[in-house]
Amino acid sequence: MTLSLLNFLADSGPSVHIAPGSVWHIGGLAITNSILYGWICIILICALLIWVARQVTVKPKGGIIQYIEVAVGFITDLVEGAFDDEKVGRKYVPYFVTLFCFILFNNWLGLLPIVGEGFKSGNLPLLRPFTGDLNGTLAMAVVTMLLVYVGSIRESGGIVHYVKHFFVGNPLNPIYLLVGILEMVTDLTRVISLSLRLFLNVTIGEILIAVFSYLGHIAAPLTALPFTLLEVAVGALQAYIFTILAVMYLAIAVNSASEHDDLTKGEVPETIGTTSEGAVNG
Amino acid sequence: MILADAVNTTVIAKGLMIGGGFIGPGIGIGLVGGNYLQAAGRNPGASKFLLGQALIFVAIVELFGLLAFASVFIFAK
Repeated sequence: MTLSLLNFLADSGPSVHIAPGSVWHIGGLAITNSILYGWICIILICALLIWVARQVTVKPKGGIIQYIEVAVGFITDLVEGAFDDEKVGRKYVPYFVTLFCFILFNNWLGLLPIVGEGFKSGNLPLLRPFTGDLNGTLAMAVVTMLLVYVGSIRESGGIVHYVKHFFVGNPLNPIYLLVGILEMVTDLTRVISLSLRLFLNVTIGEILIAVFSYLGHIAAPLTALPFTLLEVAVGALQAYIFTILAVMYLAIAVNSASEHDDLTKGEVPETIGTTSEGAVNG
Repeated sequence: MILADAVNTTVIAKGLMIGGGFIGPGIGIGLVGGNYLQAAGRNPGASKFLLGQALIFVAIVELFGLLAFASVFIFAK
């Protein structure tokens, strides 16, 4: 499924790959160029973050440590602030910081000229952004949503409480029942929307840069530069959005579960036309 | 029939798909951005908090435009 965008307009165009290509075969498994790039990124991130973790002191130092501290502090505040109970949020901070760093570094390192068409093995690029591959983003989304489901069931105290948070009122009311079932179905689309959003943003960025460096011809660095700078912003934004959406999915389930507890204690009668205070305002 | 014989209708379909698919997200992102500026103008203290919320909604709206773009590659014949 290798297609080129400008084939619709002209005979030749920039070579654009939507799907990853397998570079090697180890056993029966194909090692694709995106997996290779993902491994390199993981090694680089681990090396950098372990080095930074050893350098951290109580008195702030300058340099790159400062920026990493700011990024980690930003995500920590974000996760802890999303939960009603900060202690619950603190348990999930390491995963989300890892997720944010991984996506951010993948997106940014993917903009380097060596990734993509620069290094080739045969006909295929040797390296390809891991986030620009649907398999990669789908894996990340599945793992994230599994953590969200397991975490929200555990934090809300049992599967009954977790299922209850889909229903705004008494499930015996047919309207609330229908709305609740609809909510449960839309919950399943989160995996797809999370993975597709990241994949398409990164891939379209790659296509955009490829098209404009093709159009630029000799002045390719000049024409591709504005779009590369745009992609730096988009890469950071997508890392932020993937992380905060995952945090919010977890926080909504956990927070509303504790609200439902308060509602059942108060024994507020449910009548059509009037809304109980506990259900709306919590 | 005659039109289908004369021109490659797939190209026209792709053009319509991209053009039509980008209208909705265009309006949506405009509304999110405009309303964010309005809210930030009324309450500048909350602008930092609102920016994060606005970006989330931009991402949700933007997905549908990206899907329109991606469907061009799915129907590639």
